Amino acid sequence: MRIFDIALKDLRHSFRSAFALMFMFVIPLLTVGLFYLAFGGLAADEGGFDLATIHVRVANLDEPPEEVTGFSAGEMLTEFLASDDLANLLAVEAAPAAAVARAAVDRQEAAVAVIIPPDFTTAVVEPEGEASVELYYDPTLQIGPGIVEDVVSQFVEGLAGSRLAAEVAGRQLSEYGSPPQPQRLREISMAYGDWSSALGEGQPEGTSPLIDVRTPREAETENLLTVLLRPIAGGMMIFYAFFTGASASQSILDEEEAGTLSRLFTTPTPLSRILGGKLLAVFATIFVQVVVLMTLAALVFHVGWGETLPLVLVTLGLVVLASSFGIFLTSLLNDTGQAGLVFGGVMTITGMVGINAMFTANVPGGSSVSTIADTVALLVPQGWAMRGWRTVMEGGGVNDVLPTVAVMLMLGGAFFIVGTLRFRKRFA
Amino acid sequence: MTDDSAIHVQGLDKSFGDIHAVRRISFDVHRGEIFSLLGPNGAGKSTTISMLACLLEPTGGDALVMGHSILRDPMAVKEAIGVVPQEIALYEDLSARENLIFWGKMYGLRGTELQRRVDMVLDIVGLVDRQSGAVSKFSGGMKRRLNIGIALMHQPDVIIMDEPTVGIDPQTRRKILDSVKAFNEQGMTVLYTTHYMEEAQELSDHIAIMDQGEVIAYGTHDELVEIVGELDRIDLTINSGAARVLSEWRATEGVHHVASEDGNLTLLVEDSNVALPRLFESANGAGVRITSVDIQEPNLEAVFLHLTGRALRD
Repeated sequence: MRIFDIALKDLRHSFRSAFALMFMFVIPLLTVGLFYLAFGGLAADEGGFDLATIHVRVANLDEPPEEVTGFSAGEMLTEFLASDDLANLLAVEAAPAAAVARAAVDRQEAAVAVIIPPDFTTAVVEPEGEASVELYYDPTLQIGPGIVEDVVSQFVEGLAGSRLAAEVAGRQLSEYGSPPQPQRLREISMAYGDWSSALGEGQPEGTSPLIDVRTPREAETENLLTVLLRPIAGGMMIFYAFFTGASASQSILDEEEAGTLSRLFTTPTPLSRILGGKLLAVFATIFVQVVVLMTLAALVFHVGWGETLPLVLVTLGLVVLASSFGIFLTSLLNDTGQAGLVFGGVMTITGMVGINAMFTANVPGGSSVSTIADTVALLVPQGWAMRGWRTVMEGGGVNDVLPTVAVMLMLGGAFFIVGTLRFRKRFA
Repeated sequence: MTDDSAIHVQGLDKSFGDIHAVRRISFDVHRGEIFSLLGPNGAGKSTTISMLACLLEPTGGDALVMGHSILRDPMAVKEAIGVVPQEIALYEDLSARENLIFWGKMYGLRGTELQRRVDMVLDIVGLVDRQSGAVSKFSGGMKRRLNIGIALMHQPDVIIMDEPTVGIDPQTRRKILDSVKAFNEQGMTVLYTTHYMEEAQELSDHIAIMDQGEVIAYGTHDELVEIVGELDRIDLTINSGAARVLSEWRATEGVHHVASEDGNLTLLVEDSNVALPRLFESANGAGVRITSVDIQEPNLEAVFLHLTGRALRD
């Protein structure tokens, strides 16, 4: 019980200190918050890019041939562009003539003018037919016209499939000695179009029956901002958790200088329990810090930390490693005068080396930089913690984090044993 | 060792490298008495107390506290004693009550017994009204009282107080001395260290005078004073030139000891009425002016001077 009494007393001391609270919670969150604000313009709150609606003028000049009844490729394209599926993306208005559509672009009332040529349907149904859909847009605009071009191309490729189907059918019929009539080929082409259209309608919105798009589970719900913030939030948490480990361990030196540690030794409380209580307080302080930071980062900045079980494992590893490293460093010091210098220097340098992945994780094409930085980071305990955290945040499972957590626990155990042995010798 | 010994010290010795801080000292503290270790700074008092409180391991000898060896059964010794350190050792960010609760728990107190003892000690040290306030806001005197109160939490058989009145105002000092007497009246054995002769004289049933790691005298106040016999003590202040009169005064008939510090001289003489005219005469001859004279009955200061040739304040 006395172990817990000592630990509770130290915890109360830590959490009553405004300075400690600043270092444990405010500064890490503030840092992440600054990055959040800095990157905030790149992404929307709900995820994905917040793209403005593209205004499109469509001049449908298509005149289907008389023998083609009930089918107009130009009308299909116009309806496709104005369909509900694209309503969030495109605002389509019909223009009576090509000049009117172009004029709307010139007046910047529309981003793109889509001009469907008169022989558009003919080009679709006649094997030899050719036609081009004209896209007229302001060359200074990039995204809007590009999207419209993709949409139109997708539609035209669909029609090309119909024509291809008619050509293949015609060639096969000819090989069997029964060359098809033009009307028959048009019917085949339109039948293919109907089948293709029906197949598409039977699929969920935005999917294709022929393409199975798979994304990492986490990536489904996260946006660019949270991807950028993840390593930063993890790095800051690790950086300050190690500071807390050192700072909390310093209470042993504080008590030694204040005389309360000597006084504790005059009570019938064994040395092992006194040290045990103080070390337990260090563990508990970091544990609370890490849990609170993770929770707040998730709630405020929507940072996804990964799956629960591997997250628990790396949290355990971080708490053990940060506590033990603090205890080990403190055991090397004679007094609190040295502590400020050593903690400030050692923790800052090892911390920056260890969490450098925070800065290199999202460098485009920076794989060689990242590899070197990752290797150097493993020279310090913070680097192992960062590695474990990144693994979890990038979707790693238990098996993925186990080797790193094992190293973290072994390093932590070594620091703990050396540190406590030094303290026991010192106070024996 | 006698049956009523609360503390029995036998050949206790402590060295720190080449420094021999305590040299094979022996004494007994009887149950229910106030025992003072009197000596100047550096005499070895605090080292002795640290060994008795099991903070330092002796390099020789042993001591029994309430029958428990400090070497073989330190936990039982710690159960039996309450230690008041020379420096204030409190958790400043905790309240007085929180401090007492914490330290009470360190002595194994729990539940209603703990709360009862906290209330009792707060009453004893006069901090009931300030029990919820952070210690950091307390005056020096209040901290001193709480510092003492912590040692009382588990109602120890022996309370060890290491110079508890150093650096405090006369009013707080008076309160502390009165509280020491009160603890003793409640049956506690008190081991008290001081370099103030007056405190040892006022409080103690027995006194051990320490100097340079040794107990140089031991006994009751009267027994110790008898060491200097009928000698008078004269305290003199001179304006300057102590060196010009020291050797002559030491050779003066009827003068036994002369100690000097910063123009203050302490002499032990057989008869002050006879000695004083001779001292004035030689001072005049040497061109030294005597600015004050104080003649005192034999006391512990005189004993220390008699035994060491130095004043207790040295």
